[in-house]
Amino acid sequence: MSVKVEVIEGGVPHNNILIAGLVGTLVCIYLTYLNVLTGTELFSFFGGLAVVAALVWGSHTIKVLCSYGIGTGVPSAGMIAFGSGVIAMLLATRFGIMAPVVALVLAAVIGFILGYVSNNILNMKIPAMVQALTEMAIVGALTLMGFAALITGGFTFAGLTSGSISVMGMILPSYQASFIGGGLIAVAFLLGAIAIQHPFNATLGPGWKQDRMLMLTAECGFLSMIVAAVMSFALISAVAALISLVVAIFGWIYTYQQYMEMSKRDAAAWLDAKPIPDVEAH
Amino acid sequence: MSAVAAKPAAGGAMNPTAMAVGIVMLIIILGICYVVSPGIGLMALIGVVVGGVLIGFGTHFVPVGGAPAAMGQAPGIATGVAMLAAGAGLAGLFGGAWAAEQGLVVAVVTGGVGGGLMMAITCMMVNFVYVFGMGIPSASGKVAKDPITGDTQAEFKSQGTEGHGLPFISFVGGVIGGTLGGAGGTLIYIQLLSLYEEMLPGMMQITEAQVMPIAVSAAGMFAVGLFLVNAVLTAYNITGTIEGPHDPKFKRWPRAIVASAVASALCGLVAVLIVVPM
Amino acid sequence: MEHIVFGIGITALAGALATVAGSAEDTESNIGSQGDPNSQVQLAPQMGFLHRIFNKAVAGEPPAYGLWCCLGAGLAWAFMAMQFNPVLAIVLGCVLATFVQGVYATTAYVGRTASLAKFGQPVYVDILKSMTSVTMAHAFIAIFCTVTLCHLINTALGHPFPLPLLGLIWGIALGAAGSATGNPYYGKERQYQNQKFGAGVPISASGNIVRFAEAGERNSIDNGFFTHKIGGSASGICFGLIVFLELWRTVLFEQVSAGWGAIIVGVLIILIFTVIDRYIEVWARKNYGPYTEAKEASS
Repeated sequence: MSVKVEVIEGGVPHNNILIAGLVGTLVCIYLTYLNVLTGTELFSFFGGLAVVAALVWGSHTIKVLCSYGIGTGVPSAGMIAFGSGVIAMLLATRFGIMAPVVALVLAAVIGFILGYVSNNILNMKIPAMVQALTEMAIVGALTLMGFAALITGGFTFAGLTSGSISVMGMILPSYQASFIGGGLIAVAFLLGAIAIQHPFNATLGPGWKQDRMLMLTAECGFLSMIVAAVMSFALISAVAALISLVVAIFGWIYTYQQYMEMSKRDAAAWLDAKPIPDVEAH
Repeated sequence: MSAVAAKPAAGGAMNPTAMAVGIVMLIIILGICYVVSPGIGLMALIGVVVGGVLIGFGTHFVPVGGAPAAMGQAPGIATGVAMLAAGAGLAGLFGGAWAAEQGLVVAVVTGGVGGGLMMAITCMMVNFVYVFGMGIPSASGKVAKDPITGDTQAEFKSQGTEGHGLPFISFVGGVIGGTLGGAGGTLIYIQLLSLYEEMLPGMMQITEAQVMPIAVSAAGMFAVGLFLVNAVLTAYNITGTIEGPHDPKFKRWPRAIVASAVASALCGLVAVLIVVPM
Repeated sequence: MEHIVFGIGITALAGALATVAGSAEDTESNIGSQGDPNSQVQLAPQMGFLHRIFNKAVAGEPPAYGLWCCLGAGLAWAFMAMQFNPVLAIVLGCVLATFVQGVYATTAYVGRTASLAKFGQPVYVDILKSMTSVTMAHAFIAIFCTVTLCHLINTALGHPFPLPLLGLIWGIALGAAGSATGNPYYGKERQYQNQKFGAGVPISASGNIVRFAEAGERNSIDNGFFTHKIGGSASGICFGLIVFLELWRTVLFEQVSAGWGAIIVGVLIILIFTVIDRYIEVWARKNYGPYTEAKEASS
């Protein structure tokens, strides 16, 4: 029944992106563990890099899925990915150092069952559905974990639920001023959900190019990292947050320029203050 | 809303084997919950499943026409079904969460009325813009007569379109959908909130007052997440557009009930496990 | 008594802020052709109608506004946690959120248009420069009003949700109300001004959007100018009514008979809107139609 709207032309095969994204994300999340080993918060920015790696993989998965007509908008795919990912990620944070791996497995199980549900019970019959929803739940969970590590410096349940607040110069523990207690998890949720669907939504069309879309994903990831780094000033030391911010800004400027170059390369024309070109018959 | 030339991929047929597998999965998940946390955990999970089913069922009522509705080519509200349902349901969740300390029944009904109110105002304004802004009367494309008012539809349909605007049945459907969504979202929130309030203080070794912000935020976030999962699954079920309860696609609801129940049970189980002592 | 008067004042202020937010939201999305009318802007070049309309498909309006408002609220929360004054914190948070909105707008326009190269649709840098700044200005108004009303709900009225979660909820509701009310007016009335008034656009006319203005070529700021008159105002009233009535019934009647007071009032309001809707529908049927002779059992 399902009609394939466009085929994947050329470019890096999806499996390579999958493996690179998965390994990159896990390695980057684990690198934030250097915070614990060295007793500082300076390595939080690796969480942001994990976000970028996970999003690059996830946006390509969305491309694979949405090449079939799924009947509703591209953004919904990002919503379901993060809706299932957020729950897996929070349970996984209870497992300490094992958290990223647990998040991976748990999200895979949830995504697989959701894929089965949509494909068989809802009768969508899209060949890529099960694998795509599995991958997207993993991406959702790992992206949120990356944001958590970036903003709080760690990925354990205790770290995400407690913060400190300074009242009259005294440092008091506070559960309100934390990643979960303050609701920053909602911001991370939507930052990821929009960043994962935007690249395909914004580059779809007959002239779709893989490298342009993936560069845009990296751009969205670094842009999200900039604002997440600004938020992290509230929860980690200023030096650590500053490092994240500088890394994010440099990454964003580079990817934005690259993306604009690629768009210039692919566009029919790049005009400034010119009228609509004449085309025959109109 | 997508510019991909979306073809409705899902057929109207049911898949009995998959439905049976779904129900078995649901029972297994409830069983797991009974083993790890009988009592409060199982109660919370059942609440989450009921809430998820309400959301999934309610989304079927929301009249959404997608992109063609924005051009007056198809009846319904011109936006995405999942997100419109989410807008109404979350507005309901907002009201329900506010009334949380007044007890389960009051909170859930308040949430439902909040969602219904949001949809009533939105649907009324949609018709207002169609009639007074664009001079277009409402006409359904799927039925000859409005099932509630008995108004004939065909002669108000303009040429070359499938209908436009919101006939009265769609308005009523929208209000019912918002009500069910708001009530479902609130039910999920209240169940998880009472579970977390009960279990988190012991787990984190802090007082009940200190645990409140975490319990509220986590329960609220999960309610939003579960809402989106259920609404998107329903959107897949009806392939993005529906006119309301009179639309033939509405008959697909049994599939969505099973799907929502399984998805909510699964996510709910994970949400319960977060506070189960290990 | 005093706290009820205070609550009513906050409710009125929140309703007013919501009205401004809804109006700015719809105008912003119409200038950017966001939401469902976007499909026609996307379709036009494929049918041979090249145009100079801004086409920023970030996402549907509800998720996009969910992000902008949630982000503004989250940043404001973070600045407040750093001991900033709330007013300054909200303004700074909204400025940063607007920056993110602007960047997404540029990448969406450039990306969509570059993918249409096959049909000869060029990327106009001047559109990017002039329209993006205008949408950012409107987006700032919408985000600032929404985050401020969330802050009022949170601190003055004592809603339990933290600020970012309220931003998410009201952002999505803002986008849903604004797109539902405003989209048809832009999609049908403005994009297809060349079609018959008082009728839907025939499916065969899809893609043939109006591309020329009274003088010269139409640009998207004209679209915002046009749609703001009815679509924008209607969206503003819609979102304003939602926020105001939701808060009003809770603040005034929450204590009446253990919570049931607010519920009964809510049901009554729904019934009132049902009657209004039915009146509008019947009025239109009497005055506009029928277009064809009534036939028995035809559909």
